[in-house]
Formats: sequence, C-alpha cells, structure tokens
Amino acid sequence: MATKKTYFQGLGELANNPELEQLQHKEFAEKLPTEAFLGDEEKLSESSTSRRDFLKFLGFSTAAASLAACEAPVQKVIPFVVKPEETIAGNANWYASSFYDGNDYASLLVKNREGRPIFLKANDLSKEGGITARVQASVLNLYDSSRLKEPTAKGQKTSWRKADRAIVKGLNAAKSSGKQVVLLSSSIVSPSTKAVIKEFASKYGAKHVTYDALSVSAMLDANKESFGVRALPTYHFDKADVVVSFAADFIGDWLDSGHGKDYAAKRNPNASPMSRHYQFESNLSLTGANADYRTPVKASELGVALVTLYNLVAKKAGAKLVNTPASGYNTQLQKAANDLWDAKGKSLVVAGGNDKNIHTVVNAINDLLDNMGKTIDFKKRSYLKQGNDADVATLLNDMKAGKVGALIAYNANPVYNLAEGADFAEALSKVDLSVSFASKNDETTSLVDYVCPDHNYLESWGDANPYTGVYALVQPTINPLFNTRQAQASLMSWTGLGDDFYSYVKTYWNRYVLGSTSWNTALHDGVYTSKATERSLTRRGSIVSATKALSKLSSDSIDLVLYSKTGIGSGEYANNPWLQELPDPISKTTWDNYLTVSPRFAKELGLNNEYVSNGALNGDVVDLTVGGTTLRVPVLIQPGQAYKTVGLALGYGRQGVGKAGDGVGVNAFALASDFNTTLSNASLSKVEGEVHEFACTQLHHTMMGRDRIVKETTLDAYQQDPRSGNEQMMLETHKGPLEPEKITLWEEHDRDVHWWNLSVDLNGCTGCGACVIACHAENNVPVVGKEEIRRSRDMHWLRIDRYYSSDMTEERAEEEEVSTIDKYLAMEVASEAESLEVVFQPVMCQHCNHAPCETVCPVAATTHSREGLNHMTYNRCVGTRYCANNCPYKVRRFNWFNYSENDQFDFYMNDDLGKMVLNPDVVVRSRGVMEKCSMCIQMLQKVKLDAKKDGRKLRAGEAQTACSIACDTGALTFGDVLDEKSEVYTESKSPRAYHLLEELNTQPSVWYQTKVRNKG
Amino acid sequence: MTSQHCKSNGRKRLSLFALLFFTTIQLGFAQSIELGEELFSSNCASCHYLGPESKKLIGPGLADHTLEEYTTEWLYSWIRNSAELIASGDEAAIAVYEEYNKSAMPAFPYFSDEDLDNVLAYIEQGPAEVVVDVAEVGVDGEASATSNTMVVLVAALVMLLLFAFVLARIKNVLKEIKGQETSSLLESALIWLKQTPIVIALFCIFMLLYALGGAWDGLLTVGVQKGYQPEQPIAFSHKIHAGENGVDCNYCHSGARHSKSAGVPSANVCMNCHTYIAGESESGKEEIAKIYDAIGFDPESRTYIEGYEQKPIEWIRVHNLPDLAYFNHSQHVNVAGVECQTCHGPIEEMEVVEQYSSLTMGWCIDCHREHKVDTANAYYHDLSENWVEKYHGEDISVDKIGGLECGKCHY
Repeated sequence: MATKKTYFQGLGELANNPELEQLQHKEFAEKLPTEAFLGDEEKLSESSTSRRDFLKFLGFSTAAASLAACEAPVQKVIPFVVKPEETIAGNANWYASSFYDGNDYASLLVKNREGRPIFLKANDLSKEGGITARVQASVLNLYDSSRLKEPTAKGQKTSWRKADRAIVKGLNAAKSSGKQVVLLSSSIVSPSTKAVIKEFASKYGAKHVTYDALSVSAMLDANKESFGVRALPTYHFDKADVVVSFAADFIGDWLDSGHGKDYAAKRNPNASPMSRHYQFESNLSLTGANADYRTPVKASELGVALVTLYNLVAKKAGAKLVNTPASGYNTQLQKAANDLWDAKGKSLVVAGGNDKNIHTVVNAINDLLDNMGKTIDFKKRSYLKQGNDADVATLLNDMKAGKVGALIAYNANPVYNLAEGADFAEALSKVDLSVSFASKNDETTSLVDYVCPDHNYLESWGDANPYTGVYALVQPTINPLFNTRQAQASLMSWTGLGDDFYSYVKTYWNRYVLGSTSWNTALHDGVYTSKATERSLTRRGSIVSATKALSKLSSDSIDLVLYSKTGIGSGEYANNPWLQELPDPISKTTWDNYLTVSPRFAKELGLNNEYVSNGALNGDVVDLTVGGTTLRVPVLIQPGQAYKTVGLALGYGRQGVGKAGDGVGVNAFALASDFNTTLSNASLSKVEGEVHEFACTQLHHTMMGRDRIVKETTLDAYQQDPRSGNEQMMLETHKGPLEPEKITLWEEHDRDVHWWNLSVDLNGCTGCGACVIACHAENNVPVVGKEEIRRSRDMHWLRIDRYYSSDMTEERAEEEEVSTIDKYLAMEVASEAESLEVVFQPVMCQHCNHAPCETVCPVAATTHSREGLNHMTYNRCVGTRYCANNCPYKVRRFNWFNYSENDQFDFYMNDDLGKMVLNPDVVVRSRGVMEKCSMCIQMLQKVKLDAKKDGRKLRAGEAQTACSIACDTGALTFGDVLDEKSEVYTESKSPRAYHLLEELNTQPSVWYQTKVRNKG
Repeated sequence: MTSQHCKSNGRKRLSLFALLFFTTIQLGFAQSIELGEELFSSNCASCHYLGPESKKLIGPGLADHTLEEYTTEWLYSWIRNSAELIASGDEAAIAVYEEYNKSAMPAFPYFSDEDLDNVLAYIEQGPAEVVVDVAEVGVDGEASATSNTMVVLVAALVMLLLFAFVLARIKNVLKEIKGQETSSLLESALIWLKQTPIVIALFCIFMLLYALGGAWDGLLTVGVQKGYQPEQPIAFSHKIHAGENGVDCNYCHSGARHSKSAGVPSANVCMNCHTYIAGESESGKEEIAKIYDAIGFDPESRTYIEGYEQKPIEWIRVHNLPDLAYFNHSQHVNVAGVECQTCHGPIEEMEVVEQYSSLTMGWCIDCHREHKVDTANAYYHDLSENWVEKYHGEDISVDKIGGLECGKCHY
C-alpha cells in the first residue's frame, strides 16, 4: 500500500509560516548586494533609459573613447626657475625632524620628493620615542583639505594684521581690567616655546594651564606625594625580567610610544632571560594581548588586587601589611608576586588609569622590589606629560565667575575632550577674548572669537626636550601650504618679539642647549644629547590612606573603562582616513567605537552580535548611562573582557572636523568625570529594534585546531627543544612519509642575483599596526570606507591577523569523547577568562616560489622574478580574479572602483591636496585590476641602482621594505637570503622558522618564527 | 645597435724620435686626455667652444693653437684665478678681459696641476669627433623592404594588365576576322568573373584579411607618439646648443646621471651662459628675452630685478611614458652607459625636438635583449661568476639577469 508522506524542510514549513512562504519564492533570502544604482528600486523605475538607449550610449561612448585614445593629451613639464641646489627631480631628500603632539614623541627622518613630505621613518641617531601608527599617518594630516586656510574672526575670514591688532587690544584690555589672561595648552616639551610663553606671560601677566586629553595627572600627583617631585621617571622595559601591569597599556598609549620596542627587546626567547609579563586589566588591551599571563579583573576590583599584591610582596620583604578584603585573583597575584620577588631589582610594576591611590601603591611596590633607580629612572625624567587636572577645574570655575578676560587655546580642544566640555563651551561665552591656534576646525574653534591657525608640524620650526638631556629639533620640510602662521610666531608678535621663530630657536639653542656642537650639525642630526641628569629620588610617605581608599569591592556595579585605540587615540586625528580604516588590533573593527562587553555578560543581558549573509557583523545597540549622561552605543562582544565591566573607546564622535572623521562613533569623553576614565555604576538598556552595522576585517576568532598557521610553544619546551611547536611536517605518500617540499610539480627558479626574504617574528609583533600605515603611505594603498570594508573589499596589502585561543582542543575532545560537531562548535568559541591567549600574525603576500596565483592567471599578469618576488603587473591584469581565488593566504586585493577619481570615495585620493601624499614611484592602480604586496619593489630597485651607480655591492641591511622600516620591535626582518651574512639568512635557518601552510608546498619567501610564551 | 667611431682629428706630426716612445707616451697621454675631457665638459664647455673653428661663446673659442701664445705658468694662474691676474696688472690678462666685454672667468682654485695638465692636453688634442651611428631601427628597414616588393608587384600587375589587354586585342582581331561578335576587355572580364564565383570569394577573403591587417597595424600605433614634435614656448634649438656649440647634454639635463628624470634645466642654468649671450639675430634676441622674462633679468643693466615675481617656463613634454612604466635615466646613462642619442636620436641636429624612438615595450625589450651587462661593475662582479658557468661564457645581456621581468618596470 502506497503511503503519501509529506516531508518538511523545517519546522517553519510545518507551521506554514507566511514569511517562509514568501521567502520560498525568492532565490536569495536577502537582496543581492549589486551596485548602489541597481539596488535602489525606486531610482531604477524612475529612470527613463531603455535598453535600446543604453546600447546606443554604450556604442557611442566606446567609439568616442577609442577616438580620444588616438590623440595623447599634451603634458607640460615645468622646471624650477631657480633650482635649489640639493634638489634633483626624481630623487628623494631626507630631513631630520621630530614629532610631538602632546602624546607621542618620535625623532624622524622625513622623506621629501619634489618638495613634498611623503613618508616618515625613525631617525637612527635617536633611541628615544617610537613611530606609532599615528605618527606614521601624521604625514597625511598635512594634506588634509579641511585644514584652516587663513585666520578667522568670529567665523569670518580676516587678515593677520587685523587679527593681531584686535587680539593685542583684547589682551591689553584684559590685563588693564585686572582679569586673567590664560594660555590653555596640552603638554609642551619645546624649551623655546616655553621661553616664548614665559615672555608672553610676563608681558600680559598670563597664566599657563596645561592638561592632557589622556591625562596622567594623578600619576604626577602620586609621584609628588611619594618622591616629593611632580615628575615622571623613564621606565626601562628592556631591563625588566618580570613586568606586572595593572591596566597600563604601555604598548599602546601609556606615557611613551617608545615602550613597545623596549619591551619587545626582552620578548625574544633567546634574550637572557626572556621577560615574563603579567597583565591585570578589564578591557582586552594591546598590552594585555601580548601578556604571558593575563587576568581579566573587574575595574572596581583592580584596587583590591593591587593592594593584595602589595601585601604579598611586603610579606616577602618583611614590611608591614595593610588591611584589605580578599581578592578573587589570589592565585595569579601570588604567582606574580613570587616572580617579582625573584627578579628583585629587575622587575617593573606599572599601572594605568588616572587614580592617585593606585599610583601611590604602585610606587610602594616598586620600592619594595628595589626597582627604583634600576628599571625606574628618575635621573632621566620624561617630560611628555605635564598636565594638571586641578588647574583646569580652577580655570573652569574662574571662567564661570567671569574672572577670565582672555583665553588662548594652544593644541587644545577643551570643548571636545574635557568631560565638562559643555560647561566649558558655556563658560567660554563669559570670556571677553578667546583665541584658538587649532590648524583645523574643531569643537572649540566654532566657539572662539579668533582662530589663528597654526602650521602643521611639517611646516614648522621648533624643538623638543622630551627627556632629561635629550634635545631634538623640528625643521620644516615644505613651505606652508596655506596662509597660516606658527603658534609661537603668533605669541611672539603679540608680545612684540617679531614673528621669526626660526631665529628664536636658533638663538635659544646656541645660548642654552648646544655646547661646542654647531647648529648645523644638530639640525642635520635632528637630535642632540647632553650629559645632564636630574637628581635621583627616594620614596617616602605612607600608603595607608591610599590602600584604604582602594580596599572597596562593589561587585554589583557595572563598571565602565574608557580606553584609547592605537589608531585614533584621543581623537585629534579623527579626520585621518588611514587611521580610521586601520583595524583595531583587538576587535579588527574599523570606522567605529563601540561598547566592549564580555560574552558571559552579554548573554546575561541578552545582547547579540550576528553575522549576516554577506559575512558582515551586526550588533545590538544599548543606551549607556553613567552619572546622568546617556549615550547610544553599539555592542561588540569581546572575548577577554572582564565580566560586568564594559569598555568604550575615546576619540570618536568628532563634529565638523572633515569628511573622514565627522560622525564616526560617539564621544566618550562626555562620560568621563574629573579626568577619570574608570567609572562605576553604569547602566545598560538594550534599544529594541535597532541594529548597528560594523565593518570588521576579520570575523573568525580562533584557529579551529589548525596548527599550520600559528605555531606556538612555551619557553620551557623551547629551551629543551628549539624546534618545539615547529616539528617537521610529513606527508604520507606511496614512497613513505615525505617532507612537503619533496613533492612538487614545479620547476625551480633561477636564484643567482638576490633572493628577497622577509621573516616575521611572532614574538616580536605586538600588533601595533605601524607597518600597516607605512604600507599605505609607501604603496599608495587606497582607503575604501566603511561600506566597502563591510563587503570585505578592504585594500590593505598587509593585514595583521589576530587569533584567540580556544578552550577546546583536539586532545581534549579525544580525552572527553566529545562528538566531532560539538568539538568544532566549541573550537569556534574563544577561551574564557584567564585561559585566553592572543596572537598577532602579520600576513602579506608570501611571494611563493611555487605560486598558485601565477599558474592560473590567463594573461600572465602575475609572474615570478628570479629575485624570489611574485610580480603583479597592473597594466596586464584584466581582472579575472582567478589569482585571488587560488591564493591560499588571501592577500590579493581587487580594485572594485577607481578610488583615486571617484567622489564616492571622498577620503584623500580624489582631491588635489590629498594626492600630494602619493608616492610618485608607485603607480596608482585603476579599477578592475588586482593588487597586492610587492615587497616594496620600488625600494629594492632603488637600493640596487644606488649600489650600481657607486659600483659597489649592496650593504648589509640596505634593502628594506616600508613595513620592516616601520617595525621598531624587530618583528620584521628583511634581506637577501643568498647573502649568508644577512640577518634574514640567520632567521631563515632558525629552528623556529616555518612557512605558512607548509603542506601546500608553496615555498613562500616569507618566514614566520614560532611564538614562544613564557609560561609554565 | 650602437657603435662609436673615434677619428683622431688633425693630430700633430710626430717626429721619428717621438715615435720610438710612442707606445709609452700614448698610454699616459690617452688616460690624461680622458680625464681632461671630463673636467672640460663639466667646467669649461658652457663658456668655451672647443674645435678648430675657434668660435666665440662667452669666452674665447679654444683650438689647438689658441693657447700656444701663452706659457703654461700663465695659463695655470689665469685658470686658477683670473681676477687676481688682472688685478696684478698682467697685460695679456687685461687684454683678454677687455676683449670679452669684461666678463670675468670664474676661478677654479681647486684644480691641481695634474688636472690642469689634463685639461690642457685635451684642449690641445681637440675634441674627438663622435659619430653616433644612430640606431638603425628595424621598422625602417622593413619599410624599405616592403616598398621594394610593392614596386615589383605594381610593375608585375601593370605588365599583366598590359599583357591581358594585348591578348584581348589579338583575340578580338581574330574574332573580327572570323566574323564573330567581339567584346571589350572589361566585358570579357565580367563574363569570366560571373562564370567563376570562387574567384570572387577568394578576392573578398583577401580584401577582408588585408583590411584586418591594416586595422591591426593601425591599432598598434595607438598611443605611439613617434615623431611627436610640439611647438615649445621658447624656440630652443638643440642644433645650436648641442650641435654647433657642443654643450654637453649633461650640462643642462643634469638629472640624467643621478635621477629617474633627466630633467628640464631650470632658468638659472640657462642664465649661466645667457647672462652674457643675449642673442645676435632678431628672433634669437626675442627667444632669449623669454628667459629673462621668466627669471627677472634686465639685459640693459645686466642685473637681476629685485623682488621680481618669477614665471616658470611651461615646456611641452615630448617624451611621455605612461605612469604604469617606470623608467630611470640614471640606470641607463650612468650604469649601462647608453648614449643619449641611442634613444633620442640625432638630437644635436634637431632644430625642434621630436620623439625619435617609438618608446613601445617591444622597443625597450629589443635593447634589453642585446645590451651587455657591465660585469666589471663591483655590484655585478661577484654575481657574474655564477653566470659565466651557467651561460657557458656567453656575453651576459640584460635579459639574462631578469631584465625582461614585468615587475622590474611595472610597479
């Protein structure tokens, strides 16, 4: 008997769901992401163009294009009238200069082509500071089309003469009426500028108030209490065998951009010894991601954890203990305390945040550990942060009381980055004369009377004294682009000192700084070091009140920790599209700030992140309320985030700063209170029905049990067997097990000139992203914007993959007899809490010597060179994208648009000013071609040519790529592997060296070095 | 592709005695002349013409006999510092100074005795007459071959037609004699074609192929600007400067040895000579005045105008490579030692510069296949040891060491 069974495809069909019914009639569940025009149905139906018309247009334009192509356009060549002697068109000049913006300090060499600065690299003569992604990107700020082009008075254009007259009048009026004249600035390290300010102050009786957007005022105050001097020491991470950090993101934005490279020097497994790094923090920071032991701690419990560590160390030192509640992180703290005590005098405890009590206790711990004068150096002090929060509070009160007659904002945007920004804006109206030196429109310039735009630092003269005994010069590398004037020159002219700041700096240096060294030598070198030292300091004072204040636990409260990202920082460069598109090293999200919530907490609150059909990420939105201020923010579920603590990045939500930065994210400064970025008693409420669209460059979080991509081991295992974690892979064949490289279809290439190799040390890479920006600058990599990133059309030639560990492993699955499906489901989930490990892996074109891309290109547009490079010939490419499909590393990028000529991509490449940053030695790719890392072949060709012209062999280390230059942690080593004396040859022979996906036997020219964690 | 022939020019007769020592002297002599030439072209050539005609530029023209009237010591002190010599009241020095409108010769105090000897030796010998056999471009050769065939073909065709005509006349005469109906040549041809459609078909196919071939050749010339000869804002003549006055190419296009672009000289380089030379003919004066206008020079008072707003000269670029191709002059001029004329043609004969070579990729590659790498250069030297074995001692041309790889020029 035949039965008539009905099979249902799912429960929805059984329930006869009407939505499903509708969906069944469509081929795709969602509208296909075709072009914007075709996607817009309304526009499409409005259009009167018929198919016939379309074909006519097509035919006509093809004919017109072919006709036009027959006649080449007339090009002009316009030489100098009087050529500067050192300039040769087509060759670059390098000038030494320095960068300091109130946050990062770096000594630079500026590459100048035909009078345009286009690339920055570290000055080898200086050991201090470091080129971060932000410093690297600062060259683009010069060519920002939204820069102010002339002085303005109440928003109207004016001349310098008129503005000067009015301002001097205003200043005199303020002085004679007995009101205050205040100069509000970020930290200033320039001695000449300070001298100018002093003269200005004495003329008008002015007060100088300093504050830092990312304030460490509390640390300075704590040092005053502990050591008697309000000063910052320099920290020697390169001398510390054990580092314990309490939420100090010292690889990111903590005090000094030079810490990363010092820290990395001790992270080499062959260092004696390799340092061990503990991190206790709430948000997963860049520093935490690099730690050997990382403990997520609820923000309000960090104080108790710190005091507990104090007690543990004090017990060993035989010092008096203090009372504190029991910390929930005793095991990890005990371990850290043991290691610290064993490395007495060679350890370092640091803390982030702006809480005086925390820093007081940290000082006491370091003192117990005998670190003062060893890893913490007060003889050489850091002047990079000098802000005083209390002065700002006083100023605000004085302004409200109408006691301030004139206010000048220099490198300061208080309306945006003060928590009391709104108050400040209101109080500003009570000031008779307000002036800003901002070189771009910002939240403050729209409210002041006069804007006297400052030069960009690449157009300015200046100097810096960032540390005791260290001096640096700033020299202009381009003529001012607009009718702007250096802030110091403005102050000088209002003080009656003329407006020649160059002479002022030179005189100052000859008189006070330079000994027997000549000015020209100092200017050439960019830096000058004297033997001056400050006196060393000893700790005194008590920690009783500090520990008492810290010893409070509030497990009910939801805490909020505001942090700054490596790209955007405090938001000063929010209009820099390179930085906006630089993926956050941890979340891999671009063009956004968001609330980071731990997976467990998100589950409790019912907050979700989901992947949509095109592979992009959507997130729920919440209303975040702290201290009466509410912000609507998207939620990003972040592994490693402490439970019940949420994080939000500063520096977003800028208004009126330009086309790239406007309206990206929300301003988190508004939530801070009194410069404190760690806040309690936050509340979250989910906004129903609202979904936020993220643009992430990486959505897979774990390795899923693959062990051929990231290889890692522990220090103990490495010391016993240097090949640990990097065992030779064997493939089973009918001839028995063979090494993958023994099985090949390809013929070998000639290798008789050079063979360029790059080695990537996973221990050295901190994930900071400076290399990504350097690659942008050197290779004219376009910015594509948030929408395109969401479509996975990012153009980065060099990406940094970030992987989390997973609690589920093959071994564990076998042991616990977990089913295959469950195993893989669990493998997809990043580890919880303490067991979370993070690894950063820079991936660029691997320049395979058996390249899968080369074999499939139908037009031979990608070919192999005998120098071991995989060439990509743009003019030959017809855009089949077969190569990208066949690339196992997914490093090829397709130009979906003509980014340099398309107004849809209005970032920098489509305007005349922004185009000035382009490297003239690298072609700007057009639509429809594939592009990828060339290992900076233009730089290789150049050094080879230099050697040929001089009739000599290549020098060691002469050949470099933009990324290897930018990497100051030594993670990227480049060179000729045929030269047995080269560093990269040694690296390629290291027992840690491996190739990505070696089973494919693509024989890349890029090596990776096994990650070694100091655990065990 | 290129070859150079050096012809010695009016060398003095050597006595028998000198001949005995010829070999040894010649060795030392050749070396110093080479150095002298280098010094001369970079320091003296912009003001002094060297050659038998003794032409005046800014300073006196120099021929082998010009310097005979002065002693070597006098020449030493004159070249090192002429102003000092004039100030010392030396009569011969004052006479030269007066003769050349009191234009002072720059001092060269850094020249060693040896340098000066070399320069003087070079002057005495006179310039080597450089005959550059400009690249015989294959296309031209082919063109002449094609035209030869065409003449033969046309002649054959004419002969055939004539033959057919004669035959038709004979046939008609015979027909007339026989009393049959006659037809003209055209009529009979049409009748024949009607009877044999295969001929029409073949003819059509031939014509189609011919047209396609023509179109293909035409397309290959798209974007090729060979022969491009735009009018420049200043009617600058390379024939006068490089040809007649023998100014070294590198004197103005100084970037060629150092940089990717040879560079168009800035107006101040022009002024090195044109401070003194304002032109003789009416049109010459007019053109030179354009330089003065650009830089702000008053030819009357021979001074630069203070605070003058300078106007850059907007030259029209003749040689345009597309952005996608990277070309570096210094690689070719400095490292490979390619003569300017190899690519730019007989530039010293051009009144108005035109693009001489096609600048197509095929043209680049042809040269890369033939040009030998200079393995004496220390950069190549060690590397070349591998190549000797690999290429069995053949000459190492650029293509053998990767000179045809795409990425070398396209990035």
